[in-house]
Amino acid sequence: MPPPPPAAPTPEPHPHLRPVPPVTPPLPGARLSARGLVKRFGPTTALAGVDLDVLPGESVAVMGPSGSGKSTLLHCLAGILVPDSGAVTLSGRGLHDLDERERSLVRRRQYGFVFQFGQLLAELPAVENVALAPMLLGTSRKEATELAARWLASLGLAGMEDRRPGELSGGQAQRVAVARALITGPEVVFADEPTGALDQATGTDVMRILTETTRLAGASLVVVTHDAGVAAWCDRRVEVRDGRVVADVRQQAAR
Amino acid sequence: MRAVLALAPGLRRAGGRDSVLTTSLAVTAFAVMTALTLSVVGGLLGFLGRAAEPVGAFQEENAEFYVVLAWTALVLLVVPLLTLGGSAARLGVARRDARLATLRLLGVTPREVVALTVVETAWQGLLGAVAGVAGYVVLLPVWTRVPFQGSTFTTAELWVGWPALLVACVAVPLLAVVSGVVSLRRVVVSPLGVARRQTPPGMRAVRVVLAVVAMGAFMVITSFLGAFGAAAMAFGIGSLALGFGALNLIGPWVLGLLGRWRAHRARTPAQLLAARRLVDDPKATWRVVGGLGLAGFVAGTLAVLPMIASTTARDADAAERAATATLNGDLMRGGLLTLGIAFLVAAAAAGIVQAASVLDRRRELALQVLAGTPVAMLDEVRRREVLVPMLTVAVGSAAVGVVMLSPVLGFAGVQDPGGLLLLVGCLTAGCLLVLGATEVSRPLLRSVLAQTQVRPD
Repeated sequence: MPPPPPAAPTPEPHPHLRPVPPVTPPLPGARLSARGLVKRFGPTTALAGVDLDVLPGESVAVMGPSGSGKSTLLHCLAGILVPDSGAVTLSGRGLHDLDERERSLVRRRQYGFVFQFGQLLAELPAVENVALAPMLLGTSRKEATELAARWLASLGLAGMEDRRPGELSGGQAQRVAVARALITGPEVVFADEPTGALDQATGTDVMRILTETTRLAGASLVVVTHDAGVAAWCDRRVEVRDGRVVADVRQQAAR
Repeated sequence: MRAVLALAPGLRRAGGRDSVLTTSLAVTAFAVMTALTLSVVGGLLGFLGRAAEPVGAFQEENAEFYVVLAWTALVLLVVPLLTLGGSAARLGVARRDARLATLRLLGVTPREVVALTVVETAWQGLLGAVAGVAGYVVLLPVWTRVPFQGSTFTTAELWVGWPALLVACVAVPLLAVVSGVVSLRRVVVSPLGVARRQTPPGMRAVRVVLAVVAMGAFMVITSFLGAFGAAAMAFGIGSLALGFGALNLIGPWVLGLLGRWRAHRARTPAQLLAARRLVDDPKATWRVVGGLGLAGFVAGTLAVLPMIASTTARDADAAERAATATLNGDLMRGGLLTLGIAFLVAAAAAGIVQAASVLDRRRELALQVLAGTPVAMLDEVRRREVLVPMLTVAVGSAAVGVVMLSPVLGFAGVQDPGGLLLLVGCLTAGCLLVLGATEVSRPLLRSVLAQTQVRPD
């Protein structure tokens, strides 16, 4: 049995993650790996044996038509769903046998999320929406708020700290979501149709900010989308159909 | 119009399991409201009947006073009972608003949107009213075990009559419809306003001025009660209602202030989120804890009863002492009964509103958990949302109750340790009851998260 691959350096490795010997070793140096992922919902097979590797700092677009299994893949990679078989490793350590509380901790510490809409809490002003993420990790409110204000300013939202999500445009709200996803210094950011609720120009703006900021932060990015224009912003395009990866193409990402 | 109304059953079914749960909660709330209202009205009719045909010297001498007390209990309970009905009508309103707003954007007219709401809420109100009538009948034997004026009531004395039951079956659906239509105003005015939530306008400080004026009027009126006799007593009950109106006016405003203060001082995510929710919609929180505020007010006035008992028993012969003992026992019993019903109503409202909140926020909650927010923190937010305002309102209202009745009874009432102990005991029991009721939404939260974990959209 091959030894587990060396873990990529992480600022704070999760104490509960245990090394897992996968059937096929992940790509050396991969930050996030999936091997033989199978997930069924009743009689429907959503994932039928998916292998995927994501390198540090790499951006990957997962594309496919509705019902192809791309969202299920994202949820398995993020530890939201537990696959029926197969394994997901983050920095060489397995997620598959963690309980829900431990996986929640991994999502909080090592992952960031950008959803289509609705992830910002309507009652909180923008700065507190962003500050909430580090506060959940134990950072003091004062420190978290200062950090959040800096993130908002760096994303062009200076002066909008006290606006609530309902008072922001769709693009501005998604920038706040990007800040919230990245403020904790995650290893991987997952984005599920991040521009689905935006017009094309605003969507382009959000993708530029998402890919640039993630790259600068040294995080990997996994974007689930059905939009080729969105996928063009990523280093790789993975196509999923009927629960299988049918194409994995490296490309020159738009800048 | 007919084509749109034909959509009503389909829209209801489209809600799926949530719709069944929301409907069940609403019907339960209407049923509790109807059963307790009929019980309180039955009590009033019982005392009116005894006043018309008194048996014995005691009833003859005190009949009018008992009628006034029964009216007072009705005034005390009518606001929380109506609030419970209003909360029931608002159940799931966010989800229904979104559906109806979409229909508005598709070209359905405001009249048709209102008609859909009328259909949806009216039958819930009717079901609740019928269940409530049944509940009233079941409760009748319980009330006949409580002694007043030296003897227990008979079922016939507490029976409100068939016409009153029919009135309940019409009035409750009507209340449901009015509350539902009022809560729909923003959909009709601006369908986009539902999708794009904005900062609500702050409440004006004029509420405080109005509340202070109302409380002052009550205190002045009650201090002259003795001079004007029975007419002034009726006027006093009216001013008691004025006092409650003042509480309801000032309550949301005070909660908004409390929320701002708590948000400023919050250190943990749960503290921050609970405080911001309070700032966001203090009226909604008041609908949860307002009933308890009223219960606190009752407890505040109740605290002085032992003082009455101890002072009136001095320098009296045996017959007088017996009469006084009966009267004081009835006062205490009636007060406790009113307080108990008010706490029950408050607990029902708190449990129902919290459950509705979990259902209305299901998408937001699911996305928070997907992003790693611990479920335990959401539980803490849920508890804090009720606990902090509840403690403030219960204690604050009790203090207001004592202060407002001070012209009649004096501050000496609260110096009696028995009264104070009773006050603290009632408040503690009430708070525990309300907290227990909110825990009903704990398994609901987990169930909602389990259902929506995969596809929160």
